[in-house]
Amino acid sequence: MSCLGRDEDRALAERLVRHGRDCGADEIEVGIGEGVEFNVDIRLGRIENLAEAGSRYAGVRVIKDKKTAFGSSSDMSEEALRRLIGGAVRRAALAQADEFSGLADLSPTRIDDDVLDIFDPEIPALEARTKIELAMETERIALADKRITNSYGAGFGTHEVRSVLASSNGFSGVYEKTYASLSVGLQAGETDDLVEDFWYSSQIHFRDLETPEQVARKAVDRTVRQLHPRKIKTQRVPVIFEPFMTGSLLGFLFGCVSGTAVYQRSTFLADKLGQRIGNDKITVIDDGLLPRRIGTGPFDAEGVPSRRTIVVERGVLKNFLCNVYAARKLGLQTTGNADGGGVGPNNFYLEPGPHSPADIIRSCDRGLLLIRTLGHGLNGVTGDISRGAFGLWIENGEIVHPVSEITISGNLGELLQSVEMVGSDLEFRGSICGPTIKVAEMMIAGE
Amino acid sequence: MNTIATPEPFRFEDRTGLTPADLGRILDLALSSGGDFAEVFLEYRQSSSAHMEDDIIKDTSENMSLGLGIRVWSGETTGYGYTNDLSREKIERTARSAAAVSAGPAKMRALDLRESVVDDRLYRALAPAYLAAFETKIDLVRRAYAACQKADPAVKKVKASIQDLIQHVLVANSEGLLVRDSRPLLKLTCVGIAERGTLREYGYSGGGGRVGLEYFDRTLSPETIGIEAAREALDLLDACDAPAGEMPVVLAPGHAGVLIHEAVGHLLEADFTRKKTSVFWNKGGKRVGAPGVTIYDDPTISGSRGSYAVDDEGTIPQKTLLVEKGVIRGLLQDKLSAHLMNRPLTGHGRRQDYTDVPIPRMANTYIDRGEYDPEEILRSVKKGFYAERFTGGQVEDSGKFTFSVSSGWLIEDGRRTAPVKQATLIGSNVDILGKVEMVGSDLAFGLQTGTCSKEGQDVPVNDGCPTLKISAMTVGGRR
Repeated sequence: MSCLGRDEDRALAERLVRHGRDCGADEIEVGIGEGVEFNVDIRLGRIENLAEAGSRYAGVRVIKDKKTAFGSSSDMSEEALRRLIGGAVRRAALAQADEFSGLADLSPTRIDDDVLDIFDPEIPALEARTKIELAMETERIALADKRITNSYGAGFGTHEVRSVLASSNGFSGVYEKTYASLSVGLQAGETDDLVEDFWYSSQIHFRDLETPEQVARKAVDRTVRQLHPRKIKTQRVPVIFEPFMTGSLLGFLFGCVSGTAVYQRSTFLADKLGQRIGNDKITVIDDGLLPRRIGTGPFDAEGVPSRRTIVVERGVLKNFLCNVYAARKLGLQTTGNADGGGVGPNNFYLEPGPHSPADIIRSCDRGLLLIRTLGHGLNGVTGDISRGAFGLWIENGEIVHPVSEITISGNLGELLQSVEMVGSDLEFRGSICGPTIKVAEMMIAGE
Repeated sequence: MNTIATPEPFRFEDRTGLTPADLGRILDLALSSGGDFAEVFLEYRQSSSAHMEDDIIKDTSENMSLGLGIRVWSGETTGYGYTNDLSREKIERTARSAAAVSAGPAKMRALDLRESVVDDRLYRALAPAYLAAFETKIDLVRRAYAACQKADPAVKKVKASIQDLIQHVLVANSEGLLVRDSRPLLKLTCVGIAERGTLREYGYSGGGGRVGLEYFDRTLSPETIGIEAAREALDLLDACDAPAGEMPVVLAPGHAGVLIHEAVGHLLEADFTRKKTSVFWNKGGKRVGAPGVTIYDDPTISGSRGSYAVDDEGTIPQKTLLVEKGVIRGLLQDKLSAHLMNRPLTGHGRRQDYTDVPIPRMANTYIDRGEYDPEEILRSVKKGFYAERFTGGQVEDSGKFTFSVSSGWLIEDGRRTAPVKQATLIGSNVDILGKVEMVGSDLAFGLQTGTCSKEGQDVPVNDGCPTLKISAMTVGGRR
């Protein structure tokens, strides 16, 4: 992966921790990140961009007299890194003493990366030609469909990363992880009536990726199903979220159960621990230990071993997701969700239910199948949701036509209480995901 | 007397050991497999930040990155490589991987580099933040925080932050261009959360730009930022749900520039026209909006967040007319699109950092002032929606766009009556531009804190507009 091996990187981090202690830091944590990436974009049968590169950087956190300073550098000479640490130790005096500051306690648990299976040796060994051909083939299959009128391009990318962490509590660890992704974006329709969509597959293991055929077909279907949309009247109807859309809703939920948002009181769930926040169809898990998944790793950014945390169990809010700081502020335990200064998801997902997506659609007399959203419009403080939306209109359990230029609005707290059906179609496509769900009612603004 | 300081030119030679002769050799190596054009982009950025919450300065941060990106064209294909290891061996490897877009003998050599000096007066600052003592910056954070907290007993949580950045860039290319730019950027922001009973609301404000610390004495005080953040949260405690459905919409001056950014700006970025994915691709010279609509993008506005003396490909930027009285007149060009479309450069090739390929981007985009008195615009609406504060927007190439309103008002009989919260406005751009019925005389720019995202690259931007009336637009409220 680089001229330096994993042992050298780890030894460097450990030396820098000792240097920080020598400079007077009470506590110090040094992270070294290293990555190699390859990306190719194909458009209309030709290579548009071909990029290959590597980078390495270091980040430090220093605590002296309960005062914290951060620093980072891409200059990886040991001399520059020693200067960075010396500067951070001095700068710590500018902050104020914070009784909640400090590193994680050293845990006796060590997770074996082999079980996690997050490094695929096949990825670094892939030939450039193979990678280019995968993207070419994906676009070629998609463009062979005459309904597709333009291409945003197809892409294939790989990323190999190494994460090293050492800290003055005695922790020292390193792991390597691979990623591969294949995607294509398409346009259909005529000049003033254009529709667009894309599809992608992203995995830790090359063999787990969807094939060019699968990615292309899915992108084509997703694009052409939106052709010739109609406007609809403003009304309240049941809404079915496709898995991709459930994932987006769960991303919003993640932000609202993050310990940082809780102690900052910027989430409507701040006072709801132990209380019912959804109906009994809702069980949400964060699991950093699922083998071969995007959000998996042996330890978090503070060296805390990964674990499985039940966030919501049959509607009851069981745990907030915390790094060490948020946990101390809230009088809780870290859940191993530290993510470079904040709180991030591992594999955060809604447990699947019994229903097939087709059954869920058939159950709906009249409603909206939500397929895409546009814009921001999520307010964690209130749980309010208001977004531009694209969907398929359902009448008598059948999809009848696409709709566009509508917005959907509602409130996350109310939606969680009104989930009527949960699909069986959970797929781990990213670090936040969920199956198809149906909610009782949302406000649709149209004509 | 204060002395005016523009940022010191950064000496990449001293920091990296790379001389102009070395850059020339790198360019030749990048052209050695038959490329038509090669470019080296060197970037050194130094940033710092301080954060306050729970009544204490919680931490400070200092970050440094130095790296180099190499780009090679072969026909319409771009090869790109980057590295932050500036050893000769790594740079040569990066040049070779960029060169690998073509496979053949060299067609040309790079021309001798001749440095051109850019006019960087638009960054003039009395007190550049990157040279100031950390304590001075921390004091600004404390002032914004205190003002927000004291604004009302209902304000229960406050967060305030300052961030400053100096980005030194050097661009050298095989056409003999050698140019450098040192761009300061400063931002002070404050968040207030107000609570009453079980109600909880969020307010945000901020300011800054490519300015020095004197901005917070002369233009916008930290106290004003703190009070505005509190005010937004407090107003929302009294707000009711926004209406849903199609109705006339009046956009407040300044912040609503995000509508122009989304509805027009992105779709006039030349790459979307070149690829024919933009709904505007074949509408050059054609009418797409009402006669009151004239739109510019101007990267040369002094001190503004989106400004730069030279773009990330070494082009001197120009104020660019995009739409004149409703007719499309121009595109935002980067070098690749201008070259392939055989059009003049406008200086809008930007990149997030050295790891990215430049693409056409906006800088400071605005709809020009019109003739109507803002009061007259309001009076013309019998029943509608007044959109006041915004949190952002998004557009797709078909022209469908949304933007998110955090607070606004109901308009009844020509007057703003009840405050309302959170709504998304949605429309398609050709339709909305045709419905711009009245344009106010009160052009203003939004908060100097905006960031635009495209293809995974974030760049600082600003937008502006006067009061606007759109005759009908879909408002996505909850009732």
